[in-house]
Amino acid sequence: MIKNNKPTIKKAFVNSFKSFVSILPMMFAIIGIVAIFQVYVTPDMISTLFGYSKFADIFTGTIAGAVSQGQGSISFVIAEGLKDQGVSLYALSTFTLAWVTLGFLQIPAEASVFGIKFTVYRNILAFISTVLVSYLTIITIGFIK
Amino acid sequence: MKKLEFKGLKLLIIVVISYVLLFFIDYSKFKDSLEKINEILIILLPIFVFIIILTALINYFLKPKQILKHFGEDSGKAGLFYSIVGGILSHGPMYAWYGMLEDMRKQGLKDGLITVFLYSRAVKLPLLPLMIAIFGLSYTIVINIYIIIFAIIQGKIIDKIMK
Repeated sequence: MIKNNKPTIKKAFVNSFKSFVSILPMMFAIIGIVAIFQVYVTPDMISTLFGYSKFADIFTGTIAGAVSQGQGSISFVIAEGLKDQGVSLYALSTFTLAWVTLGFLQIPAEASVFGIKFTVYRNILAFISTVLVSYLTIITIGFIK
Repeated sequence: MKKLEFKGLKLLIIVVISYVLLFFIDYSKFKDSLEKINEILIILLPIFVFIIILTALINYFLKPKQILKHFGEDSGKAGLFYSIVGGILSHGPMYAWYGMLEDMRKQGLKDGLITVFLYSRAVKLPLLPLMIAIFGLSYTIVINIYIIIFAIIQGKIIDKIMK
């Protein structure tokens, strides 16, 4: 329902705070999942997943990035190490991009807020886009060089 | 006044049960996980405060009609522009922004623009120097341009699907 009357500043803050409190259970749930993930899955473990074949590395990069959680800078640090190991730029792109754009661990929370249909389609599109953006970037860089 | 409707309670119960199990199965990992939660919360706290203030200011300064105008069905290029810039400037994890987006969605924010906002977050301004150092300048410029193009494409597709 759309309201037309402008709220007072106090009302706006109370409503904003209530909105925030209403998603706190979801937020704590995700933080709990992310914490367990970070304890069990270390950057070193992620690094060991790469280095099998070009195609496998691209697939691994996308999936590993999508399920990994943490600050974006961590993905770059891992990528730097993988680059030195000879992992392809395409795989590194999908990995770092998937890390910041995809959040498989957040899907239940996203669905509870925006609905299942939106969440499923958005994540599928983000997944496809991640692969395409990485591919097009590598192709374009090749042309520039 | 807004009524409180909690989101994600079932998920939280599952997570709490997992922690109880972890307590008995692997106490040291349980302790490490709690420390991680503490670390994450310390990082997120200022972002939470910022989001509460931003949501309140949006509610105060933008009437639902204005939100519809800037971010609704007929928002056009301006809506896209605000969503991309908002996405690029937003900090913290994606889920921290769900509450604000849900609030704006109830007042008319298009699903396509939520998608644009969420994907544009891949352009991380503070990380650009690190990205340039690892991948080079041309790579950084090209990938960020593609990210924005694909954020827009995704937004258009989501709008078509969700209609």
